[in-house]
Amino acid sequence: MGDTPRRLLQRLIRRIPAQELKPTLEKWGRLSQAQLQTIDFTQSKWALTGKLGTICEERNWAVKHITELELIYVIDNPNLGMWHTFQLMDPRDNAHTVELLQFKEQFKSNLSELIRNVSVKIKKHTDEAVWIRIAWGDGLSQPNHFKPTYVVHYLQTPYVFVTSLNSKQKPLLSQALVLATSYHAIKDANLSGRKFTAIRDLLMRQYEQVFPRKFHSPLKERNQIVTDPHIEREQAESSANRLQMACEAFGGGKLPQLQSAVYKLETKFRGHNKSMTQREEPIRCVVKFASTNILESLRNCASSGIASTPVTPLLSSIPLKGRNYFVITDNGPGPSQTRQQN
Amino acid sequence: MSVLKPFSKLPGLKTATILLVEREEQFQQSLADALVEETGVTVNVRLAKSLPLPVENEESRPRIDLVVFIINLTSELSFQSAEASLKYLDAGYFLGKVCFMVTNARNTLVPTNRLDGVRKLAASLQCPLLFAEDQTPDGVSNATERLLAILKVAAGLVPMATALYLSNLTRCTVPPDIDQPSFD
Repeated sequence: MGDTPRRLLQRLIRRIPAQELKPTLEKWGRLSQAQLQTIDFTQSKWALTGKLGTICEERNWAVKHITELELIYVIDNPNLGMWHTFQLMDPRDNAHTVELLQFKEQFKSNLSELIRNVSVKIKKHTDEAVWIRIAWGDGLSQPNHFKPTYVVHYLQTPYVFVTSLNSKQKPLLSQALVLATSYHAIKDANLSGRKFTAIRDLLMRQYEQVFPRKFHSPLKERNQIVTDPHIEREQAESSANRLQMACEAFGGGKLPQLQSAVYKLETKFRGHNKSMTQREEPIRCVVKFASTNILESLRNCASSGIASTPVTPLLSSIPLKGRNYFVITDNGPGPSQTRQQN
Repeated sequence: MSVLKPFSKLPGLKTATILLVEREEQFQQSLADALVEETGVTVNVRLAKSLPLPVENEESRPRIDLVVFIINLTSELSFQSAEASLKYLDAGYFLGKVCFMVTNARNTLVPTNRLDGVRKLAASLQCPLLFAEDQTPDGVSNATERLLAILKVAAGLVPMATALYLSNLTRCTVPPDIDQPSFD
């Protein structure tokens, strides 16, 4: 077995936690049950690497088989750094009927035309997501499998999620995606985070939505922490209202885990300092909110009264528009769009 | 402006009602759960974030014997909210039916002038100032015992003791050198 597949296998085995090794290999499907029985999974990782290495040599497997295993592991554990979102713009006529095989062929051929020596692996997950693993090379060198880019696209939606992409590779990937999906352009959707499932759920609204209602719920099951008849909350109605408005703005139940919200301000100074208000140029500053779960924190701020309700559109547009990077200028009352990027 | 009045309603038999006012609405919940467990006296607890209280509850609200302002020293807004609520209390309450309870006094992040500010406020209104620890069950039960002691007197359930008399004994005083810098 060559050096690259061996090193790749070693790195992969080290990365996969011990208790997930057996299920991942089973999902891979290339090892028969009998072979899996012969492997003792309580050994050290070093010994396991050796054993799997010999099996791979016997079966003459190459890099592409190992990358298959890596893709399977990453699909179940997609938290490998920052994920960024892109949105496809201006669909062509047949954009909504692009199906999997067509997309796969077009993408692979487009990318190979744009850059030689690139290795692409595409897999469709059970939940309609198309996962693409790209190892980039250039005209002179072989694809680098140690720093792959992962791309996830849901067919028939305009959203693409990308991780580990550098600025040189971005135009190539954009071009290939635009051609394969029959759109005209692609732009940055200004949503990024560490957890892939969180940004996907936020964008596709796969969390509990709370809708405004005119009349109070007859069941009154919310906020019933107080059960003793001698304890009475005086302002129960106003705190129930706050909770309702906070949930309408951000959602009920468990919220997708975003880590930050960034506001870039380019507005004129509005305050009491005379010399600052007389300046012509806008003040530039960046405000960043960070938390382990920023939506949960903001909802709590609104329901406990720290943030005034009804929730300001600056905060409520995070889940509404599905973005966590905003540029605010003096032009309009709300956050404005960033410049279009191709 | 709806001001809370101390003697506009009739008292209940062997009943005492306490109003806990806290901006954060955290400690009041655990205090309430501990207060209602008192036997011998029926304790009613009313919880609020700030005053004024909503007028809708005016009819059903019993006579409030003791108003406790819970101030979290780590938050300036907590102090300001308590201060702002004071003007919705009738002057009759300040004769022994108001008490201040302060949490997180030992926290090193608290600026010293905030505690001094609370002290001066309590001293100017001649109300007792209690310190409480809200994170452990022991702290909660200690605070509950002390509140019950004051509550029973304020509700008139202790013979030979009135709220005004007790507050004279327990009210907060400020040392004359409170404005001098301390040497920590």
